[in-house]
Amino acid sequence: MSKRFGAVSACDAVDIEIHRGEIHGILGENGAGKSTLMKMLIGLVVPDSGSIFVDGASVRIADPVAAASLGIGMVHQHFSLVEALTVWENVALGDSGRLSQTGVRNAVGELSERYGLRIDPDARVADLPVGLRQRVEILKCLRREPDILIFDEPTSVLTPEESEDLFHSLRGVVEQEGRSVALVSHKLTEMLEVTDRVTIMRNGLVVDRYMTADADAGMLARAMVGRDVRLRSTEVSEAIPDMHAGDDGATPGVDGPVLEFRKIEVREPGGSMELDDLTFSLKPGEILGLAGVEGNGQRVIADLLSGLRRPSSGEILVDGVEVDVSQAGAALRAGIAVIPEDRHDSGIVLEMSVAENLMLSDQSGMATRGIINGAALAVAASDLIDRFSIMCTGPDALMWTLSGGNQQRVVLAREITADPAVLVAAQPTRGLDVGAIEYMTDQLRRVARSGVGILLISSELDEILELADRIVVIFMGQVTGEMARSEANREKIGRLMGGDLL
Amino acid sequence: MSAQPTAERGARSRLMEVVLLYAGCALGALVISGLIVEAVGADWSTVGGALLNGSVLKPGRWGGTIGVTIPLAMVAIGTIISTKVGLVNIGQEGQLLVGAAFATYFSTRVPGPGPFVLIVVLAAGVVGGALWSGLAGGLRYWRKVPEVLTTLLLVSVASNLVGYGLKHHWLLLDAEAKLGNRNLVSEQLPPDTRLPRITMWGNDFPISAVLAVCLVLLVGWMLSRTLWGYRLTVVGHNRKVARRFGISESAQGMIAMLASGGFAGLAGAFMLTGGDFANYRMVSGFSVSIGWVGLLVALVANNRALAVIPMAFVFASLRTGSGFLASTGIERRVTDVVQGLIVLALLLPPAIMFIGERRRALAAARSRV
Amino acid sequence: MGGLISVVWDVASTDSAYTAAARFAVVLAFAATGEWVAERAGTLNISVEAMILAGAFAAAMGYHTTGSVAVGLACGTVAGAMVASVQAEMSHRLTADQFVVGLTLNILVLGVVGFLGSEWEPSTRTASVVEIPLLVDVPLVGPALFGQPWPFYLIYLVVPLCAWLVHRTRWGLEVRSVGENPQAADVSGIDVNRRRRQSIYLGGLTAGLGGGYLLLGQVGRFDPGIVAGRGFIALVAVIFGGWTLRGAIFGCLLFGSVLSFRLTLPGLGYELNNEMLSSLPALVTIVAMALFAHAVRQPEALARPFIRGLK
Repeated sequence: MSKRFGAVSACDAVDIEIHRGEIHGILGENGAGKSTLMKMLIGLVVPDSGSIFVDGASVRIADPVAAASLGIGMVHQHFSLVEALTVWENVALGDSGRLSQTGVRNAVGELSERYGLRIDPDARVADLPVGLRQRVEILKCLRREPDILIFDEPTSVLTPEESEDLFHSLRGVVEQEGRSVALVSHKLTEMLEVTDRVTIMRNGLVVDRYMTADADAGMLARAMVGRDVRLRSTEVSEAIPDMHAGDDGATPGVDGPVLEFRKIEVREPGGSMELDDLTFSLKPGEILGLAGVEGNGQRVIADLLSGLRRPSSGEILVDGVEVDVSQAGAALRAGIAVIPEDRHDSGIVLEMSVAENLMLSDQSGMATRGIINGAALAVAASDLIDRFSIMCTGPDALMWTLSGGNQQRVVLAREITADPAVLVAAQPTRGLDVGAIEYMTDQLRRVARSGVGILLISSELDEILELADRIVVIFMGQVTGEMARSEANREKIGRLMGGDLL
Repeated sequence: MSAQPTAERGARSRLMEVVLLYAGCALGALVISGLIVEAVGADWSTVGGALLNGSVLKPGRWGGTIGVTIPLAMVAIGTIISTKVGLVNIGQEGQLLVGAAFATYFSTRVPGPGPFVLIVVLAAGVVGGALWSGLAGGLRYWRKVPEVLTTLLLVSVASNLVGYGLKHHWLLLDAEAKLGNRNLVSEQLPPDTRLPRITMWGNDFPISAVLAVCLVLLVGWMLSRTLWGYRLTVVGHNRKVARRFGISESAQGMIAMLASGGFAGLAGAFMLTGGDFANYRMVSGFSVSIGWVGLLVALVANNRALAVIPMAFVFASLRTGSGFLASTGIERRVTDVVQGLIVLALLLPPAIMFIGERRRALAAARSRV
Repeated sequence: MGGLISVVWDVASTDSAYTAAARFAVVLAFAATGEWVAERAGTLNISVEAMILAGAFAAAMGYHTTGSVAVGLACGTVAGAMVASVQAEMSHRLTADQFVVGLTLNILVLGVVGFLGSEWEPSTRTASVVEIPLLVDVPLVGPALFGQPWPFYLIYLVVPLCAWLVHRTRWGLEVRSVGENPQAADVSGIDVNRRRRQSIYLGGLTAGLGGGYLLLGQVGRFDPGIVAGRGFIALVAVIFGGWTLRGAIFGCLLFGSVLSFRLTLPGLGYELNNEMLSSLPALVTIVAMALFAHAVRQPEALARPFIRGLK
């Protein structure tokens, strides 16, 4: 069996072959075109040119249904389960033909037995933790008996241990049943551990192919990034554990903490705990990495500091003064700047101009007696556009016309120039290309050196190991461990991410 | 250097596209209206002629059309404010009625010189309308009840309330009218509390026309150039961003809702004191759908303040023009059909343009990656 | 207070009160059932008022031309679907705002039927009463539920049918999923806007049928004001019922009873405040929603348009 892509503009003339009975890794940084490629395979994106062959026959894949009928299924990173429905209903979604409740439920039971992915078919997905949701997703996919299974960054919602289990199941699927797996990831270790062959993509192009057995981390890293750079691979970051130890500028000073969480609790409307007795503090000039598997409370912490949620109990202190974050704008006034995880959701107003987005943090400064000073606004915005090299047609360009990286620069420019005491950076490099990532990490270091406390919330362990001075690990809304960077290693953090207490 | 003329030409052809689109859709609506008229056995050209004569062409007619334009424009500009903040206020008909009822109540009870009373009456109208929309706004922000439904439901409550008021002397009913009389009316406004009328080339209309134009321009300017308008827009597009940057959604939303209802109430007060409706009295069915049509004006104007005035005038013309239809032997309700079709047709161009723009943006994004 | 209780008791022990309440409720139930499907798919469809009105007018014309109640009802159903087609295509194909389209349709249809109605003046009468033996003899509610004009009994088909469609079929599963999480449904290979359009069409069919029943089963003579806000009440009944069909039908019965008081009370010799009674459904709804709106879980994507790639 082979699959072939001709010239496609999002992915440029990409050729890929996936053989029966192999785990094929597709490696690349964010924005390298991996996801687009996979979306074309399952019909969510239509290629402009090129062709796809399944078992040697040319096929057209117009939508996910067509893909499923060709035996191609995908386990998505986000957005594919309906929370209000039960497990079996979700598994049945997207099938065709008569709906048989008992049939689907039996199938779910049988599959979870066969692959060791146990689950209650009548549970509502909304009640399941993230790891189990992925299981539902996998079952939904496996039920179609696909020949080709695509996994899009599956481990971002799993602990290292859960990831091991998943890969073990995948081995079984491939070796005993002769299916193929395409594993999309940007993590070198995963590629080396589980794949048979690797295709490496950069900027929409295939830059290299290896038999995994012939490759090592350095080769893959170079191919992925395109040059010899200091790199966020395990080997590299493990090799420089004390990078910050001698860096006096970034060492926490003698002053008290600039940000403190004291016994913070946040309860969901339904009653379950999202943050549970959470206590930590951040010192000026320090980068504190908040590590944890996605969905364990990171989002809630960022929302609290953005003033979007309120704690059920506990206190948040900035510079020793309690801040009532439930007041609109109180967190901002107290000196908390935020680079949000989802900038479209809470970072920018897509329908407004760059200048209008930049003035959000200093609204009254841009107006006299309630009337907006258009000229001054344009000057100030143009200045920031230059300083942060934001690519746009000018201060009046509407936000949605900018690329993701430039939108992120607008956020960065606004938040840094607001002269904050604390900068919260939630997944700051997600969805950015390599150059933009480097720019972002450099800026974060620079800001920390100037004395701002930085709370780095990231599900990328490597990012945290590279940047943070101190690391706090959370699991199910609780702190499971805290350590200096010099004491940290992957295994230790990995265990804490899975809920083991120190 | 060569890029600029191309861009300019692109912009010009885009503009042509927009104009053609709107013209095409409007034409389509008129053709369908014509077909409906023909279907009931009348001649579309005589009907069209009668409408034009009745609204602007015949002597003295356009003054009356302006008189109808005023409340329509007020309702529409209020609607634009609530839409800007992301609320769907569709209860202007009720807000207008309550505003008019408040105005009526105070018109004969407040002592003092005429102009003073007039100002009190107009203010009462604003307060009444704002109160009615504020009710929906309050329920929206404190009890999470969708404002679409409350504003709508409060229309029927308002008209029942006014109906009740018109049966009771202590509320609105004229002291001299007897209970049981089918014509339930309020006391007529004394002449010195009415809005003065301007006479111009054989047409006359109330002075509120000037005020209305000023208010429309003022609101348009405020929405685009002041911090208030800026904050309203931020809330309308992204509530979370607004909240983070210290803009309270509920405060801005309440202000917008109150302003929106206030303008509808003012429309009601203008109708009462202007003289083009119901002869300076409150009667049952006083609002004559001005609230609904004003809402349509805002929709058709696509929430641009400047477009409100011409659009309000067009819709007012349909109404005043229908007075001349009797001679053609066709029901005056035909103008409701024309009006509805025009609105439906004018909803199409923005939607079509949005789809086109999105397609272009997607293509651009694809070529950029 | 004691007075109020005795009034309620008097009403509750009168046969005709149940009959009147059932008649009001069943029009609401026809419309609310389809509206429920549309809302489960994510459309807060306010043009349901126009659908009922179009249904009533078409039923009048159908009966006027053929003299057959069945043909009249069929015409009404089709007319409801025609209004639905405008709503569905404009809001879920052309991405126009659903409230704006709905509102415009309400006004347009009122204009069209008002105009055509006064030009054509259809003459109609109500369908004959068919009593279902045995069941009609059940005390109090028997005549109300089983002694009505025959189109009334269609409700016993429409409600279970829609319940089955939404809860037991694949189509229904997909409808629920597009109302909850359209992005997920899209990824699973479901044409989100197509399902939404179909659910609006279904809403148009039942609302049109309800309009046909209103005219031929109840009022008997066409007037442009015949619907009198019933569509809005049906829509509210769905919300009142917390987006379950059972709850929606209960809401219809409740509001139907309130509406019927206007007819029942004078017959029992009570003075009544007409304005107050007319406002009651609206007031009850507003109060109920003020109390429960924050507690009830609505379809996650209700009233949110779906455009692939945009949130």
